[in-house]
Amino acid sequence: MVFRFYSLFVGILLLISTPIYSLEVIEILGGKASEIPIAIVPFEDSVGINSQKAHQIISQDLDRTGLFRPLNITGISNSPSSDININYTKWSAMDAQFIVVGKVESENRDKKNIEITWSLIDIFKEKTVVTMRYIGKKKQYRAIAHKVSDHVYEYLTGSKGIFHTKIAYVKKINNKKYSLNISDFDGFNSRPILNTTQPIISPRWSPDGKKIAYVSFEKKKPVIYIQNLRTGKRTLLANFKGNNSAPAWSPDSKKLAIVLTYNRNSQIYIINEDGTGIKQLMRSNSINTEPSWSPNGKDIYFSSNRGGSPQIYKINIEDDEITRITYESKYNLSPSLSYDGKLLLFLAQDQGKFKVAIQNLISNQVLKLTKGPADESPIFAPNGHLILFTYKDYGKTTKIGTVSINGLKRVPINVGNAIIQEPTWGPITN
Amino acid sequence: MKKSLLLLSLVGVLMAGCSSTPMDAPGDPSSNYYGQDGSSDAATSESLGLDELRSNTLLSQRSVFFDFNKYDIKPEYSDLIGAHAQYLNNHSAARMIIKGNADYRGSHEYNLALGQKRSVAVKDALNSLGVDDSQIETISYGEEYANQECQADACGQDRRADITYEVE
Repeated sequence: MVFRFYSLFVGILLLISTPIYSLEVIEILGGKASEIPIAIVPFEDSVGINSQKAHQIISQDLDRTGLFRPLNITGISNSPSSDININYTKWSAMDAQFIVVGKVESENRDKKNIEITWSLIDIFKEKTVVTMRYIGKKKQYRAIAHKVSDHVYEYLTGSKGIFHTKIAYVKKINNKKYSLNISDFDGFNSRPILNTTQPIISPRWSPDGKKIAYVSFEKKKPVIYIQNLRTGKRTLLANFKGNNSAPAWSPDSKKLAIVLTYNRNSQIYIINEDGTGIKQLMRSNSINTEPSWSPNGKDIYFSSNRGGSPQIYKINIEDDEITRITYESKYNLSPSLSYDGKLLLFLAQDQGKFKVAIQNLISNQVLKLTKGPADESPIFAPNGHLILFTYKDYGKTTKIGTVSINGLKRVPINVGNAIIQEPTWGPITN
Repeated sequence: MKKSLLLLSLVGVLMAGCSSTPMDAPGDPSSNYYGQDGSSDAATSESLGLDELRSNTLLSQRSVFFDFNKYDIKPEYSDLIGAHAQYLNNHSAARMIIKGNADYRGSHEYNLALGQKRSVAVKDALNSLGVDDSQIETISYGEEYANQECQADACGQDRRADITYEVE
């Protein structure tokens, strides 16, 4: 039950120049940004790492984002492992705009530790732009490789990388066993934090990273728990008459928007994280559900059928003014906002198919990122550049995967054969 | 418009029920004390009319089915709802739990809300026939127990509200 954080590894920044690229999200949506061709050269390895190699991990990380085109460089002889004597002409001829080189060694002082030194090299400008050294335990090899991806990503896009972050999801086995699991963002190192015989839905990671709120049917009806990830202890947040569901953390992690029914329809309430101070947000005869806060904490986006079919609305929690946000499809659900508040992520029914969609909240332009037919539960990565969602594998079993914000890359996350659903994404940690 | 027609037909059913079937007299007040002298089972059975609940054909029908993304009750369920209303009105100690469901399409949370709307729709129909609010509890299971692989018409089996009684 106890969630163990990685023991820290040390990273030493040896060189970084000012980032030259800064991809605006809006630009990405407009399709102006093209994929950056980058070669991740196999790291020289004097330790003998026998798991997936760093260059493979970094390539997969960058590939998921749809913003990079990792080049296939198998069969290249005399690969460099540092930024000395780089043959710029050769890499340029291979169309590489950047290359990453590195080596894995045993640490001089403590042989149990590994030392990874790597560089990001700009081939066009013929210069090294980042050099770093990481020292850590052998079992932190994967985590260090993800940190390399983070730095490459941040240097080239101007946004924080999310390759070190965690996700959580529900695993369902034979309709009899349910578990809430935490893993690395790419599905590795998964472990259950809750096992039960009844459904679990709507897990939501607190923005401060410390807790996960979720809905459990253990009490023969939906109730909301909050589980502390460090201690593994959980508390019952809401067990009112009727249904208790759809927890959504406020940006400061102090309050939650939740949905209660008592003996009527689903309505949105706000409650303190300790279960005190409950108050109803609005009253209506329609369904109001799936609350989600704007990053400034002033608005709550939600789905409602007040206009007939379900659409996405927002309510200003100070003056209670309600605004309709989506118009394009007949049936729109599951709203959430990017961390800069500029993009709405949601589920749109399009010609009978449920697809992941994004609406630019400035231009109101809508982009469908997936093809359906039964995609669900879209959620942003904490940098707003990648989306986790569920789809039906071969039309049957629900699985999770990521889709890039430009819709170009859809990549599965493999966490086993069971039904995998209802994902959530943890915050960026340092 | 549709709704008021439905209510009219429900009232009609109830009145027809009243005139053709003799109502069970409410049980002796003393029999309402459950758990007394070890006679609780018999007492409960009598005050709740369990025999009737089990043997009556209409009362043994417990599911109301709905169209996709809908929660209005179709006219064909008037008899079923009328019978349950009459039963609840005759047995004030009876407690009903209505459990709403939805097919897998759409989000888990919206389906939970949709299932709740379905159970509330059945409750509203019963209320309009005079059933006291305190006798009915509405909850929803959403799509959580639905067939996740249903195709087309087969998904209709999951779009329903189930009537259950606390004593059962």
